[in-house]
Amino acid sequence: MLKLTIKDLKLFFADKRALLLTFAIPIALITLFALAYGSMGGGKESNQTKITIADEDKTNESKSVIQQIDLLKGFRVVQTTTDSAELLVKKGDEAAILIFHKGFGDSLNAGCKPPIEFKYDAAKDAEVAILLGALEGNLIGMIGTKSMEKNAIKQFDTENPTMDSITRKTIHDQISKNFSSDESKKQTESFIKKTPLIAEEENSPNLIQAVAGTAIMMLLFSVTGMGASLLDEKQEGTLKKLMYSPLHANSILFGKMISTNIVSVFQLMVMFVFAQLAFGLEITKHIPSLLLMIMATSYACSSLGVFIASFAKTRQQVQGMSTLIILVMSGIGGSMIPIFFMPIFMQKLAIISINYWSIQGFFDVFWRMLPITDITFLTRILVLVLIGTVLNIIALQMFKKNSLKIS
Amino acid sequence: MIKVTNLKKSFNSIEALKGISFDIKQGEFYGLLGPNGAGKTTTINIMSTILEQDEGTVTINGFDLKLNTKDCKKTIGVVPQEIALYDELSAYSNLMFWGSLYNISKADLKLRINETLKLFGLFDRRNDKVKTYSGGMKRRVNIASALLHNPKVIFMDEPTVGIDPQSRNLIFEVIEKLHNDGMTIIYTTHYMQEAERFCDRIGIIDKGEIIAQGTLDELKTTLKMNETIVVSYNTISDEIFTKISAQWKDLKRTENAIHFYSSNIKNDLSKVIIMCSDLGLDILNIDIQKVNLESIFLNLTGKQLRD
Repeated sequence: MLKLTIKDLKLFFADKRALLLTFAIPIALITLFALAYGSMGGGKESNQTKITIADEDKTNESKSVIQQIDLLKGFRVVQTTTDSAELLVKKGDEAAILIFHKGFGDSLNAGCKPPIEFKYDAAKDAEVAILLGALEGNLIGMIGTKSMEKNAIKQFDTENPTMDSITRKTIHDQISKNFSSDESKKQTESFIKKTPLIAEEENSPNLIQAVAGTAIMMLLFSVTGMGASLLDEKQEGTLKKLMYSPLHANSILFGKMISTNIVSVFQLMVMFVFAQLAFGLEITKHIPSLLLMIMATSYACSSLGVFIASFAKTRQQVQGMSTLIILVMSGIGGSMIPIFFMPIFMQKLAIISINYWSIQGFFDVFWRMLPITDITFLTRILVLVLIGTVLNIIALQMFKKNSLKIS
Repeated sequence: MIKVTNLKKSFNSIEALKGISFDIKQGEFYGLLGPNGAGKTTTINIMSTILEQDEGTVTINGFDLKLNTKDCKKTIGVVPQEIALYDELSAYSNLMFWGSLYNISKADLKLRINETLKLFGLFDRRNDKVKTYSGGMKRRVNIASALLHNPKVIFMDEPTVGIDPQSRNLIFEVIEKLHNDGMTIIYTTHYMQEAERFCDRIGIIDKGEIIAQGTLDELKTTLKMNETIVVSYNTISDEIFTKISAQWKDLKRTENAIHFYSSNIKNDLSKVIIMCSDLGLDILNIDIQKVNLESIFLNLTGKQLRD
């Protein structure tokens, strides 16, 4: 029995693939999810929440409040114009923005409700809720009680014009004292106007996230398998036989890449059609931009599949490598967890993954409904095409080195 | 038709080919034989354009292999040792695919596929998936796929390995037909009978060099190899062997036999028997070994053809 155990252990430790699946992949995934949920890594800087503010008022009062927000622990203020700020939300770069409209200072001094507006992307509801909760609590402390206190004093003075100055000051002090209590802050109704810049019209953001995230991850797995079929051809001798023919070596590889690409396009199309039929994802109004994004995604994904296969010498190696790479990329790219749940540094890291660009692209199509000519949408297409092209160039060289080499 | 001159190829520090040269005439059936690791696969790989030589030239049908690779590829057909087919496709679809790589018109290709399938006795099962075929049937499709573009030269690398007698005979018939039709054939095999049956000329390669070349008769003559009378016995004393050695110079003693080498077996057979009887050798069996490819190969390389 002991001999059997020792033999099995020897075989296990000699099997690199088994070791990879048993130790390396779980460790990589634990690290990834730990980072993604923010339980480790990232210093104070990375945990700061960025808030984009547009100051249309530009008075001492608005500047003072913005400065106070910037000084708050956990907030980092970026100022820009209203148009630019709104564009950031519309293109998915920001979840929400805060606008101090003209007349903010005057309203504050007059004890009226100050014109502050919180504009947001309804797709990022969780992120928006956290941001709004943190902002409201602090803003009420900074603006709200002050404004209402002034309003109460003003109202008292209007109603009691003949009162002597000593009594009036005593009552003013009492009103101020009442407004500085925590209880009054809690009871104060929010004065921030909330406006969704992008709201649910035809597609639910959760559905888009589920369909796009899953479709891309599964596509990566299937295209890796197809890329690896070139290794099967090598093992079975058909690759060598192809090389006897007048075909150029590059044609053999491009033929494989194109077939993988076609299957990828078809697979994504089927997935989106299924999502429409089964879950009501509205795709018919966005056919051109959807097709463009599907083609760019397929190109990038199939290139990754061929790229991974080009580094391996056997199908088993491809399986081990692809499982690790795809799960990590899907994790950081937003296929498993929406990226706004992740710390800032992880969100920055997401741009290295195909998943990120594709998911954002599908949100452009179904949620933000950007036109096909929109520069943000086209940039995502371009990035995917660039990723695919770079991977293909490397894969071509690696295939020539690893697969087409006859000894 | 084929001219190989001073072909050299090294893999890192290993010299696989040390400057081999040979010519093959149009319509000739040339057997390239050698033990494993001798350099024959490297030679075939270079001649079939998938491996580049370090030095030397190869011309096929007037085209320099290095300068006119694509023209050479159109001229040659290669039957690899491994069965290189797509199992999930039918024989017909496989042939359609492999044929289509040579820019044959669809109509011509269909015609050619049907002819070839009939030639190999596979027409009735043309639409069955290759994975349902026997090993012999797969080998037939494997050969058929190399013939669709009517190559002038065909390289066959052990095309009959591990197949049933029926398939082997069918393949032999096709090979003979191709030869009779004037196709130039370069053939490697570990089966001596095949080489002896088909090859017009044989090149024996060992350690990266062609060590002998010619027809079977030429090889026999060049190597001055004699036929052998093998006399087996139960026991032999040193005294008897000394006496036999004194009377017959060209012999070799093995564990249970004496090999008498003879250039004229008709005259020498009776002399050997009488001599052994007279000297009191307890003869168990007498066998005559003629000079064949196996013995030539053994003589030249020190190895059996199947080693």
